[in-house]
Amino acid sequence: MIVYIVLIPLLSSLLTPILGLINRKTGFFVTLINAILTFTIIIYSTRKVYIYGPERYFFGGFEPPYGIEYVLDGLNSVIILIIAFIYLLSVLYSKKSLEKEIEQKRISLFYCIMNLYFTGILGIAITGDIFNLYVFIEIASLSAYTLIAMGLKRESLMASYNYLIIGTIGATFVLIGIGYIFMATGSLNMADLKLRLPSLYHSKMVRTGFTFLTLGLMLKLALFPLHIWLPNAYTYSPSTISALLAGTGTKVSAYALIRILYSVFTIDFDVNIIPFSKIFIFLSLIAIVMGSLLALAQKNLKKMLAYSSIGQIGYITLGISLANESALQGSIIHIFNHSLMKTALFFIAGGFFYKQGIENIQDLKGIARKMPLTMSLFIIAGLSLVGVPFTAGFISKWYIVIGAVESKYYIVIPVILLSSILSLVYIWRVLEISYFGESNGNEHKEELPVPLFFPAMISSVLCIFFGIYTELPVELSKRAIEILWGY
Amino acid sequence: MFDFIVSKYNYWISIVLMMIGLYGMIAKKNLVKKIIGMNIFQVSVFLFYISMGKIKGGTAPIYWEKAVIYDNPIPHVLILTAIVVSISTTAVALAIIILIYKKFGTIEEDKILELMEKENRR
Amino acid sequence: MVDLLLLVLLVIFALYAVYETDLLSSVVILSAFSLIMTIVWTRLNAVDVAFTEASVGAGVSTIIFLSALSRTKRREEITRNGKKLNIYNFLASLIVIFTGSVLIYGTFDMPDFGDFDAPVNNAIAPRYIYGSMAELGIKNFVTSILAAYRGYDTLGETTVIFTAGVAVVILLRRRDL
Repeated sequence: MIVYIVLIPLLSSLLTPILGLINRKTGFFVTLINAILTFTIIIYSTRKVYIYGPERYFFGGFEPPYGIEYVLDGLNSVIILIIAFIYLLSVLYSKKSLEKEIEQKRISLFYCIMNLYFTGILGIAITGDIFNLYVFIEIASLSAYTLIAMGLKRESLMASYNYLIIGTIGATFVLIGIGYIFMATGSLNMADLKLRLPSLYHSKMVRTGFTFLTLGLMLKLALFPLHIWLPNAYTYSPSTISALLAGTGTKVSAYALIRILYSVFTIDFDVNIIPFSKIFIFLSLIAIVMGSLLALAQKNLKKMLAYSSIGQIGYITLGISLANESALQGSIIHIFNHSLMKTALFFIAGGFFYKQGIENIQDLKGIARKMPLTMSLFIIAGLSLVGVPFTAGFISKWYIVIGAVESKYYIVIPVILLSSILSLVYIWRVLEISYFGESNGNEHKEELPVPLFFPAMISSVLCIFFGIYTELPVELSKRAIEILWGY
Repeated sequence: MFDFIVSKYNYWISIVLMMIGLYGMIAKKNLVKKIIGMNIFQVSVFLFYISMGKIKGGTAPIYWEKAVIYDNPIPHVLILTAIVVSISTTAVALAIIILIYKKFGTIEEDKILELMEKENRR
Repeated sequence: MVDLLLLVLLVIFALYAVYETDLLSSVVILSAFSLIMTIVWTRLNAVDVAFTEASVGAGVSTIIFLSALSRTKRREEITRNGKKLNIYNFLASLIVIFTGSVLIYGTFDMPDFGDFDAPVNNAIAPRYIYGSMAELGIKNFVTSILAAYRGYDTLGETTVIFTAGVAVVILLRRRDL
């Protein structure tokens, strides 16, 4: 069953350009059917994993470590669940939004690339073989470069090019890391590596391999000093793609990092044998503060959201590197929640552009009087980003703080408080301008069209929903850690 | 000491090659030049992989009655995949560069950044 | 001795390709670099990889580079704005030297080049070498791993080519912007 999770997107990516020759409109429908089907299968398999435990699939019937296997366990079922959901919303959003942003002649090829991107990220999330991981990282990256380069302005080309250079350095670092680890062990299967590695923890080869693997993934993840590709890539790509990338791209790299840290290596190695944990906590804290500070300085709405993403990625890596149960749980929930809220915010920012052609925060004057419903969605998602109680963002931050206290890193608490205040300031700045700014000209109401409004509404309402009914993400992430750490 | 160098020089030279490529990717301002650096970087990583599969006295990993030891075939397989990935990246990168040249009229990074800054100030 | 000579030649060609300001000669040098690499790989008994590199690395990639150059510019323009550039280059070399030394540090306890007892050759490789003939009946072990044991990687590889093909078409046909 789990093999269809990747095969359906792959097949539909082949189908879209072919059917596109007959009728351009088929692209959207094939993609939509693909997204719905994949999402359904994922819900089904997630439920199965939650009840019966991990599920494995051997390609060609060759048992690992000789063949390649797919593993669906608690951790990656949560990740692919949110990825497929965000993809479904983005596809719904894309129809109307792409009409303005992409030439209609090219639309079926565009959907083809979108499906390939979906294939790539699902492949990263579900594979149990580190070399296969590299291949799928490249599929996802190549399609992401192309999607970004389809932006309206010429800056998008430069953004895509820079992402390509940095992304390729990252992927090649991952390849070097795989090479070093392969040389020390002779195996490529993750579960097999976990058995073979512990006796080699003091080998320089393994340590270097580990360093390059994590460094490569950090480049893909855009952790603070390595974030330079991210703001422009998110700002200049088409609205649908900004939302899709913000909701899935870095999240999947974060997942791959968790996988390498805790499924290929062990906590003992990450925390005790090399000072990975300490360095990473330090970097994450800097990312949290700097991301929020830089977001304050932005004039462009999408760029502000992109910098805020850099800060939020800091939370995710912070939870990962604290290396205890609550913190990692917080991190997984934050991946889940941040996907929802950032996608909602980018949907709404794309909506402002669609309806009014607005990109800069300064031009939002009085927009709340024109689009009150849309703006209220922005408030919900924005407050969730700040981490106000009864929103989803609060839950994940709470778990991360508990984890920090358990590990006795008390410095985390003031940093998180500071960053929350900073994010309140930059969200407030948008609200102030849009509610109290003097608008010029007419103020008759014109909300977003339904195809744009609906996905934004679903994702922001879920931010509240998961803030109050916390069971689903908390239970799923708890089960994920149980399976991951084996108790 | 001499033995140590002899036993490792193959890896070291591939690392030196990687670093030449990486330098080209980071330091060069010309967009095509960066891609040339990227190619050198990736091909050198492939050399590193192929080197680790070599065994002294081994023959090519193809069945042969007289063979005693075969070289390790796994790195060869991995690199066959990776070569194709590398060429695909190059193709996409060059397509983007052609578009950049069409829209900016130059392929020098600093000039493009100047143009972008001018546009933003307006 | 020949191998060492070839490797030194590789370093010279790589340096030349990076420092040459005429992009056309730089691309030709890169192609020559790939060809020498093909010889090195043949001497390391990686014949299948050498084939691919000769056709794809030295052949196709050179053609792609040349067609891209014919649509853009032939010369690299060196802008000299003095100090700023120097600091930038200095930082770049610092990063590169640091990365390189970490990589070299990792080689210190590597098994010797050509060591039969290295873990790479003893973990999963014997199964492919001694078992694949009986299991699949293909004489070339590389083919049998590529097509059967790790066939899924090959599907991924094909998908990458497909992605690149669609990407190039959709990008180069853009008329808007």
